[in-house]
Amino acid sequence: MQRRTYDAIVIGAGHNGLCLAAYLQRAGLSTLVVERRHEEGGGVNTEEPVLAGFRHNLHAQYMEFFDVMPMIADFGLEDLGLRTVMPEAQAGIVFPDDRPPIVLHRPDLLERTHASIARYSTSDADRYVELKRRAASLEAMVAANLYSLPVAVPLDDQGVALESVFGDLGVTASFVYKTPRAVIDELFETPELRALLYRATVEWGAPLEEAGLGAMFVTFVMWTMGNWKLAVGGTHTLAKAMTQACYREGVDLLENTAVESILVEDGRAVGVRARGTEYRAERLVASNADLRQTLLDLVGPDHLSSRWASRAEAFRYGPSHVLGTTAWCLRDAPAYRAATVDPDIDRCFYTVVGFDGADDVLRYIRDAYGGRLPETAAAGTWVNSLWDRSQAPPDHHAATGWFFLPKASELTADEWAEVRATLNDRLLTSWQAVAPNMTRDNVLADRLYTPDQMERKNLMREGDFSNGEFSFDQIGVNRPFPEAANYRTEIEGLYLCGPSAYPGGGVHAACGYNAFKAIAEDLALASPVVAVRGY
Amino acid sequence: MPDIYTSEWYDAVRDAINAGVGQLRSVPEGRFVVAVEVVGDGVSPYVDAATERRFLMEIDEGSCLWYRELAPDEDERAHLDGRVDYRFRGPATVFDEIAAGLLDPVDVALRGAIAVKGDMRLLLRNAEHVASLLEAYTNAVSTTWPLGQPPYAGAGPDPHGSLHQQGAATGA
Amino acid sequence: MRDAYDAVIIGSGHNGLALGAYLARSGLDVVVLERRHEEGGGLCTEELTLPGFLHNVHANYHTFVDLAPPQQDLALVDHGLEYVRPDVQMASIFDDGTALTVHTDLDKTCESIARFSDADAETFRRLYTEAHGYVNLLLGTLMYQPPMSMKELTRALSVFGVEDRSEFLSVKLRRETIDVFLDQHFTHPKVKAHLAFHGAVCGYANDVPGLAMSFPLLVGKIDNWNLCVGGSHRLAHVLWRDLAQHGGVLISDAEVASIAVDEGRAVGVVLADGTELTARRAVISTVDVEQTFAHLLPAAAVPAELAASVEHDLVHQPWSLFSVHLAMAEPPHYEAAAFDPDVDRAWVVNLGYASTEELDADWRAVRAGDLAPRCRPNAAVNSLFDPSDAPEGCYTGLLRQIAPYGLAGKGPAAWDEIGHWYGRRCIEAWRRFAPNLTDAAILDWAPYTPADIPRKLRNMVQGDWMMGEVSLANMLDKRPLPELAQYRTPVDGLYLAGSTQHPHGFITFAPAYNALQVIADDLGLEAWWRDV
Repeated sequence: MQRRTYDAIVIGAGHNGLCLAAYLQRAGLSTLVVERRHEEGGGVNTEEPVLAGFRHNLHAQYMEFFDVMPMIADFGLEDLGLRTVMPEAQAGIVFPDDRPPIVLHRPDLLERTHASIARYSTSDADRYVELKRRAASLEAMVAANLYSLPVAVPLDDQGVALESVFGDLGVTASFVYKTPRAVIDELFETPELRALLYRATVEWGAPLEEAGLGAMFVTFVMWTMGNWKLAVGGTHTLAKAMTQACYREGVDLLENTAVESILVEDGRAVGVRARGTEYRAERLVASNADLRQTLLDLVGPDHLSSRWASRAEAFRYGPSHVLGTTAWCLRDAPAYRAATVDPDIDRCFYTVVGFDGADDVLRYIRDAYGGRLPETAAAGTWVNSLWDRSQAPPDHHAATGWFFLPKASELTADEWAEVRATLNDRLLTSWQAVAPNMTRDNVLADRLYTPDQMERKNLMREGDFSNGEFSFDQIGVNRPFPEAANYRTEIEGLYLCGPSAYPGGGVHAACGYNAFKAIAEDLALASPVVAVRGY
Repeated sequence: MPDIYTSEWYDAVRDAINAGVGQLRSVPEGRFVVAVEVVGDGVSPYVDAATERRFLMEIDEGSCLWYRELAPDEDERAHLDGRVDYRFRGPATVFDEIAAGLLDPVDVALRGAIAVKGDMRLLLRNAEHVASLLEAYTNAVSTTWPLGQPPYAGAGPDPHGSLHQQGAATGA
Repeated sequence: MRDAYDAVIIGSGHNGLALGAYLARSGLDVVVLERRHEEGGGLCTEELTLPGFLHNVHANYHTFVDLAPPQQDLALVDHGLEYVRPDVQMASIFDDGTALTVHTDLDKTCESIARFSDADAETFRRLYTEAHGYVNLLLGTLMYQPPMSMKELTRALSVFGVEDRSEFLSVKLRRETIDVFLDQHFTHPKVKAHLAFHGAVCGYANDVPGLAMSFPLLVGKIDNWNLCVGGSHRLAHVLWRDLAQHGGVLISDAEVASIAVDEGRAVGVVLADGTELTARRAVISTVDVEQTFAHLLPAAAVPAELAASVEHDLVHQPWSLFSVHLAMAEPPHYEAAAFDPDVDRAWVVNLGYASTEELDADWRAVRAGDLAPRCRPNAAVNSLFDPSDAPEGCYTGLLRQIAPYGLAGKGPAAWDEIGHWYGRRCIEAWRRFAPNLTDAAILDWAPYTPADIPRKLRNMVQGDWMMGEVSLANMLDKRPLPELAQYRTPVDGLYLAGSTQHPHGFITFAPAYNALQVIADDLGLEAWWRDV
């Protein structure tokens, strides 16, 4: 890059960094994005890591925020390549015996969801469908919540609000103090449904058995359920469209360039040093990197107050959202035995395989959170090529899945190598038990990415997909810690715009969008079109 | 006996070109503007070091209509709708030695001592015409050299390496 | 997606992207459509082994960095593009522990050759010096202009008396093989083997008649091998950036199913998902001829004679490449470093071909669908020159072995059975020369077989990296077929600008640049770009 001075420099071309950069440039600030990897998008990443022609999303899988994500409309991402499919059957779970599957459908097909749950329990079906309907009606509130700087609302007030909306469905104000698991158990009697909802909750990033997160299930998780879209071509298509929007605004991007330090002069961030070259930022530096890297590695303790340094030291990664991604090149898509009961299971976007029931999921999660490799080989799986033929060669399918696994640091390199060598085989055994065609012959090749590899690939510490645990003390106005909750730091001109900031991990671009709001306020820039959208 | 790079010399070159063209069976159709950029190299006394002299020539149906030097601040594109179809650029010593018959222009181009830009296909398709132009430039005019004649003795290291030796051999 | 553009470009390989950027800079509303999830075509860098190891899956060597017009026209350096030109460009390592190295410093190259033959070193110096003088002029003339006929070319060379003026540019060469050229001018088998190897890595087989004509030009660029920092895909990124910053759009995962033709004129495309896009001024295909004419165009729009030619007359390179991509804990330490220490810092390394006959035998085997009797891959460790392509202290390695696309009697699918076995053989072949490359030094590796090539990049039909054979019969105004050689097609408004066109594959940008001249003429665009 010949140019050395910009108004703004964004560290990291993850989707939040791209989002911020696009808004900054549009607001008139010349902006440079500096990215360590050779590809933009961070966790919004699709590759052909196993065999040519088979696409796998190695991090982010399904997209639930596209209807509310401001950048999509503001920058016309649909004209820049973003296309989606929203499968009818959204989330399913199958069991190794004759129990019927549960298949949850799109919000416009709730009668089918009802029919599926009702195979086990009519009252659960009634309650689930109504909860979902009610949660869906909160979309504007959910969106406003996500795409605004976090606001402190006392727990009791949250409880009152919760009960006012859902009170007739068995939800009480006290849910705000409970664990998500207690809430799920209290609302639903069917262990098989509980199993699926446990899994959905932990995938949202919420620790299942941590008190104080119960409301999160009723609002966010239930709003999310069945809102999942598939990005045509893979999730990386989103990153490409965002990058292209940046380019069209005039943003410059430097790939393959690890930032070595953030330049601080007289207490102010004035640029970055990257691969031996200084790039100056006349107005601001924003970091999409995680908190510890930003403050401790790039700024350095010398420029931090002891309070901020110790806050950063104390920020925790994992264990509750540590994932391994398993990638499979298949001849045929899995054909589940349970399809004889409910054919929708064979065309379900997201299918959980390998669990026997709710207790099994709990045991599994406790193992993973506790640093042990779970005994059960079970995963949530996607076969995106069912809807998007571009993701696998003709007459073949590409399947991807998520394992919850211990934090990267819990196992040695050799132990992780052993996991990579064996866990997929164990999953295949579980898979074949529910889908008899999932034999070795049906598999051309497969591969497992373990948390230690995720850490190296994207600097997602510990393989934590949330980039900082979603525990009670690290969410909302406490993310990443109270003094840093509004994207600003104690270094003037340095902002956080990544998932260590509110609201956290997930493909919503809210960290970048909200960081822009904070910056726009500080620099008196023209704000995005909040008036139209409400957020 | 015109002096090198004078209007008499340009006219003599033009006449030599047109005499040669008359012998050809075919000539390129249409008009072409050719720019020649002679860059001072500190050796040739005819172009000051770090300056250049620019010449323009118009060819019409194979014949040279005019050939002249541009004034230092003159815009080459002020002529003929701003067209320049071919551009030859190189050190003054090389151009001087070509004009003196000491260097072979094809050799010079092959060795990259003079850069040629323009539609090379046309140049190749009209190879006879081009060869005739080069012959006129190289051998047809009896040039006089008021400031000294190439090869320039004692002018320091040979600015174009093995070219001189080879070229001199060809020219001899 | 918007439904109308001035120009619709099919394929986002380097030619498609560059042409898109030129047209966008000319004020056209451009969309580039890509079937894959990534732009760049052969400019493809992926983490095929372990995180942080960047493997150039296809293009690895950039030899036209100084000559290709987009470098300046599209301000690629301003966009962040960087190249490294390793001091020791190439090496040949022989079974007897000797080695030959090619340097950016001609004297050092000649010193290395002189250890085998003083006469060959002197010949090489003359050949290189001569070729270096005319290489840019001739490549500019031959490559960066729409092609002329061989007849016109040889006639012009004869009128200009080039043969009399050049020791190495003989008109007769247009009938000769590189082997013949080497035999005429060089004496030592190893020197000849290295020069033939260099031609082979460029895609020019040393036993194919006619290619001797190009050989002096290859030698003129023998020390101009550049590595794209951060992986070759970086070049695709900066091309995309230039396209988008000038208003163009790249849409990936947009497979074109057909080209819409109205009254003999290409008016748009239809995507595989049914989306229709209108092309107001031009449709430009950069994909293979088979796709363009046998699949994308309606049969009625293709003249019968052309359709028959597409079916019967297209010729592909009758050989392909088998690659092994490696994640390594250490770089190779060659035993031959005792003979010539520079081999350990050479970029492209020939592992064992010691005579042109050995190469010839492998060409024969490979063309017959057999594996080369002995693995003699070439090796490149890019991290020696660009540490950013591997995690700190680690190295990204590449082995390439000439290989058939289809295995005799079994076809290309047989590669799926033997890929790992053959990959291991290639690694063992490397280890013979560099014993430090034990299993412990190799953290992971992945084969990439000839069968994988068209699976990833469909337009490399039959594993043909050059998108059409490099041979006298498929050169200049005959490539890919005489009626398609000038970038226009029988369908008005439809142009060809991919590596199927003159000159051929490789990162030359010449197909795009030449097509640009033709399109600019037809659309009345003012040429703001530089002449070569």
